[in-house]
Amino acid sequence: MSDTATRPAPPAPPKSTGVAVTTAIWWRRALPMAALYAVSLGIALTLAALLVMMTGASPWSAVEALYEGSLASPAAIGLSLDKAAPLLIVALGTCIAARAGLFNIGQEGQLLIGAAVFTTIALFMPGPGPLVLIVALIGGALGGAFWAGIAAVLYFWRGIPVVITTLLLVYISAQVVFYSVSQSWWLQEHLPTGGVMAPQSDLLPEDRWLPHFGEYPGLNFASTIVIALVLTVIVTVMLRRSTWGFRLRMLGMNRSAARRAGVSALVFGGTALLLSGAFAGFAGAAMVGGGNHRMQPGISENSGWDGLLVALVARENPVLAVPVAIFFGMLRAGGGFLASTGVPRYIVDVVTAILVLAVVFPPAFRLYQRQIATRRQAKALAAATSGAAA
Amino acid sequence: MQTQHAEAPSGRTAPAVELRGLTKRYGSIVACDDVHLTVPQGEIHGLLGQNGAGKSTLVKMLLGLVSRDAGQILLGGRSVEIPDPLAAAELGIGMVHQHFSLVNELTVWENVTLGEPGRPDPARTKALVRSIGERYGLTVDPDVRVEELSTGERQRVEIIKCLRRDPNLLILDEPTSVLTLAESRELFSVLRRVVQDEGRTVILISHKLDEILDATDHVTIMRSGRVVAQRATCDTDERELAREMVGRELSKWVAASALGDLDRLVDPSHSTDAAMLDRTESIDEDRFPVRLRITDAYLSEEGRPQLQGLSLELRAGEITGLAGIEGNGQRALGDVLSSLIPLDSGTVEVDGVALPTGRPGVMHRAGIGVIPEDRHQSGCVLDMSVAENLVMSTVNSVATRGMVSRSRIRANAERLIEQFEISTPSPDTPMRQLSGGNQQKVVLARELSLDPKILVAAYPTRGLDVGAIEYMTQQLHAAANRGIAVLLISTELEEILTLSHHIAVIHRGAIVGRMRRVDVDAERLGMMMGGQAA
Ligand SMILES: Nc1ncnc2c1ncn2[C@@H]1O[C@H](COP(=O)(O)OP(=O)(O)OP(=O)(O)O)[C@@H](O)[C@H]1O
Ligand SMILES: [Mg+2]
Repeated sequence: MSDTATRPAPPAPPKSTGVAVTTAIWWRRALPMAALYAVSLGIALTLAALLVMMTGASPWSAVEALYEGSLASPAAIGLSLDKAAPLLIVALGTCIAARAGLFNIGQEGQLLIGAAVFTTIALFMPGPGPLVLIVALIGGALGGAFWAGIAAVLYFWRGIPVVITTLLLVYISAQVVFYSVSQSWWLQEHLPTGGVMAPQSDLLPEDRWLPHFGEYPGLNFASTIVIALVLTVIVTVMLRRSTWGFRLRMLGMNRSAARRAGVSALVFGGTALLLSGAFAGFAGAAMVGGGNHRMQPGISENSGWDGLLVALVARENPVLAVPVAIFFGMLRAGGGFLASTGVPRYIVDVVTAILVLAVVFPPAFRLYQRQIATRRQAKALAAATSGAAA
Repeated sequence: MQTQHAEAPSGRTAPAVELRGLTKRYGSIVACDDVHLTVPQGEIHGLLGQNGAGKSTLVKMLLGLVSRDAGQILLGGRSVEIPDPLAAAELGIGMVHQHFSLVNELTVWENVTLGEPGRPDPARTKALVRSIGERYGLTVDPDVRVEELSTGERQRVEIIKCLRRDPNLLILDEPTSVLTLAESRELFSVLRRVVQDEGRTVILISHKLDEILDATDHVTIMRSGRVVAQRATCDTDERELAREMVGRELSKWVAASALGDLDRLVDPSHSTDAAMLDRTESIDEDRFPVRLRITDAYLSEEGRPQLQGLSLELRAGEITGLAGIEGNGQRALGDVLSSLIPLDSGTVEVDGVALPTGRPGVMHRAGIGVIPEDRHQSGCVLDMSVAENLVMSTVNSVATRGMVSRSRIRANAERLIEQFEISTPSPDTPMRQLSGGNQQKVVLARELSLDPKILVAAYPTRGLDVGAIEYMTQQLHAAANRGIAVLLISTELEEILTLSHHIAVIHRGAIVGRMRRVDVDAERLGMMMGGQAA
C-alpha cells in the first residue's frame, strides 16, 4: 500500500467505451444477484440443518443422503432425470402461455386429467402396444388441452380471468380423478380375489409402458426426459424463430398492436393456452406410462405445481428451464432417499421446500424490488409532474 | 461557457437553472455531450433540436429520471443533486412529459391526485381540476375516465397535474404536439403570465419554430447531444433556427407548414413552389376510382356516441384531409380502420368489397395502412426491437416456411432506417430506447413501406422535427402519386392545407362538409369545424 508513491501514477482510466460500460453494468447487476443467492442458500441450509437436528438425525448425514439419492450413483442420476422430465414438460407449456401474456396456473389439474385419459386409453384400447401407447399419449395431451380449454372458453367468451379458472379447475380435476379410480366400470383396480380395493387402476400391460433406457444398478431412466429435451428444442426454436412465436410475443406485449397486425387474441392466445394444457396433460400421461404404470390419485406428487414453479424460476425461458427442472428433479430424488433413511417424510418435504424457496427467492426478491422501485418511481413521477408540494 | 455567471454571490441574480457540462451516454451513444445551459429566473427558455438530439434526456436528468455521467446542476446558484423525481419535486421542478404518464383506467381527478400523500378528497380535487381548467383554458371533465379522452384532452390532464402545484421550474416536453393551434396559443399566454407575474421559469421543448419564436425569451439549439447555438429569441428568425437545427436550408413549402404560416398556405398565389401548383390543379372527380368507402357508420363506446352516420369516400391518388376539432370521432375512425373495434352499423368497403369491421387484421389485409393516433398504444411494441417493429404486420414476408429469417428482418430494417433517417444505435435496439420522434419514424416507415392501397395517417408529423416533417410531407405526396388513397387526420389546418387535395370536415362523428383544396375558404372551414352550417 505504501509503495504507491514510488510507482508511476496509474494510467488514467480509459474513456469508457460502449463495451466497457456495458460490461460494468453487467457486473453491477450480476454481482448482487450472486451475493443474494449465496445468502439465501446459506440461510436455507442453516434452517434445514436445524430442522433435521430437531428430529435427532445429523444434518451432515442428511446432506449425504440427499446427495446419495440424487447424484451419487448412476441409478440415482437416472432417478433425478425421471423426476425432472415431467417438470420440464409442464414448464415448457407454461412458457408458451406466458409468451402470449396468459397466466395458466392450473397445470396440476391438466396433468391429472392427462394422466387419467392416458390410463383409460392404455387400459381399454385393444391393439398393438406401441400404437396404443402413442394414441394414449396423444389422448393425454388432448385431455390436458381440453381442461385448459374450459378456462380458455370462459376467458374469451365471458372474460373470466385465466388465473382464476385454471386454479379452480385443479380442484375439480382432483375430484374427477378420484372418481375415476373408485368406479369399477372405469379405472378402479380389478383384483382376482375379493381383497380390499385401493383407489387406483390396474397395472398397465408392459407393452404399453414408455421405453426405458438402461438396467437398474447402472444408469437407467425412462424415455420421458429424452422427449422433454426434444420438446425443449422445438419450443425454443418455435418461440424464437417462427412467425407463430413472433406473433405470440406481439400478442403478449401489446394486444392492440397485435390485433391491428392481424394477430387474433382468440386464435393465438387460445392456442397458447391449449398448448400449455396439452404439455401438462402429456406430462401426466408420461408419468403414468414412464414411471408408475398405473393411475393413482396422488400420482402427480405436485408435479404440476412444481413445473409451474420451474417456469417461473427460469423466467419463462425454455432453455433456462432445463437446468432448473433438473435441480428440482434432484431435490425430489434426494428427498425420497432422505425419507428412506428414517427422517420423517414431512421434514423431508419441508427441507426440500426450503431449498426450493432459497432458489426462488433471489429472482422473486429482485422482481419485488423492481416492482417497489417502479411503484415508487411512478408515485414520484406523478408527484414530480405536479411539481413541488405546496 | 458563461461560467462567470455561475459564481454570482446573491440569490437575486443567480440563474434559476444552470447546467454545467452535463453528459449522458447510453452505451456507445452520447445522448448529451457536455451541455452548458443557463436559464435566468422568470423566463421561458426554448429547447430546440432534431429527433434524438438529446432534449428529453437533458431534462430527464434535471428531473432525476436519468442519472448523469458527468456535469453539475445548479439551482438558484446552489449545486444540487437530483437522485430521483421526488427530490426534483422537492426542489420545485415539475414536468409535463412527451409521452403520457396517466393511468387509463382511472378518472381525470383520480389521476390528478395520484401520487399525493394522504386521502384523496374527490370533491375538492374535482373543483380544483375545474378551476385550473378555467383559469388556464384547459377544460376537461374531472369525472371522465382517461381512456375515454382524446389525445389532446389527455395532454390537458397532464398539464393540469403539473400546474396545480405551482412548480418553480416548469419543464414542458413537446406539450403542444397534441394541442390545436388555439389551444397552444392559450397555453402560451398562460405560461407567459406564470413567468411574468409569478416569476417562475419555464423550459419548453418544441419542434414548432413559430411557437418557440412566439413564446420564448431565449432559445438553445441542440444537435447530436451538443449545444450548437444559443440565441435571444428577438435576435433570430425561423429560418435561422431551422438551419441551425437541421444544418441545412429547408424547402419553402415545408417551412411554411412547419411555421404555421396560414396565410401563405391558404392563398396559393403567394407561392411559386412547384409542389404547390401541382396540388392546386383542379382534380377531375371521376378520373380516380374510389378505394375506400365508409357508409353511414355508427359507433358508440360505453354509451358515448363516437361516429354518428359518418360517410366518407377516399379516391386513389388523392389526399383527403380530415379537418376537425379533436374529439369529434377521429380516434374512433382510426380505430375502426385499424380493426380494433367493430361498427354498430354501417359499412366499410375497400374497392367495393365490404369488410367485417373489428375482426383482427382484416383492415390491414384489405390494404389499409394506419399510422395511429397513439403510437405507443397500437402502433408499436415497445419491448420488441426496432427491426421487429418494422416488420410487425408483415412477418410472413421475411419468413420461409414459417421461420423468420433474421438476416431478412435486419436487411429490411437497415434499408428503412437509412431511408427514413431513424436514429437508433442498431436495428436490434428495443423500441423503448428510441427518442420520441424516432419511435414515430419507425411507425411511419413501416406503414409507408407496406405500399398499402389506403393510408390513414393520424397526426403523422406529431413529434417530428422540421427536417423529418419535410421528409414525411414528401412521402405522403409521393404515396398519393403512386395511387394510394390517403386520409390525413389532423387538427392542424396548416398540415391539412399543405398536403390535401380534398378536405372533409368532421364534427360530432359525421362529415359535415367537403371541399376541394382550391376552393378553401378559411373562414368557412372554421365555421364547419365548429359545427355551424356553412
Ligand atoms: N433508455 C435509453 N437507452 C438507450 N438509448 C437511449 C435511451 N433513451 C434515449 N436514448 C438515446 O439517446 C438519444 C437522445 O434521445 P432523446 O430522447 O433525448 O431525444 P430527443 O431530443 O428528446 O428527441 P425527440 O425529439 O425525438 O423526442 C437518442 O439517440 C436515443 O436513442
Ligand atoms: Mg424527446
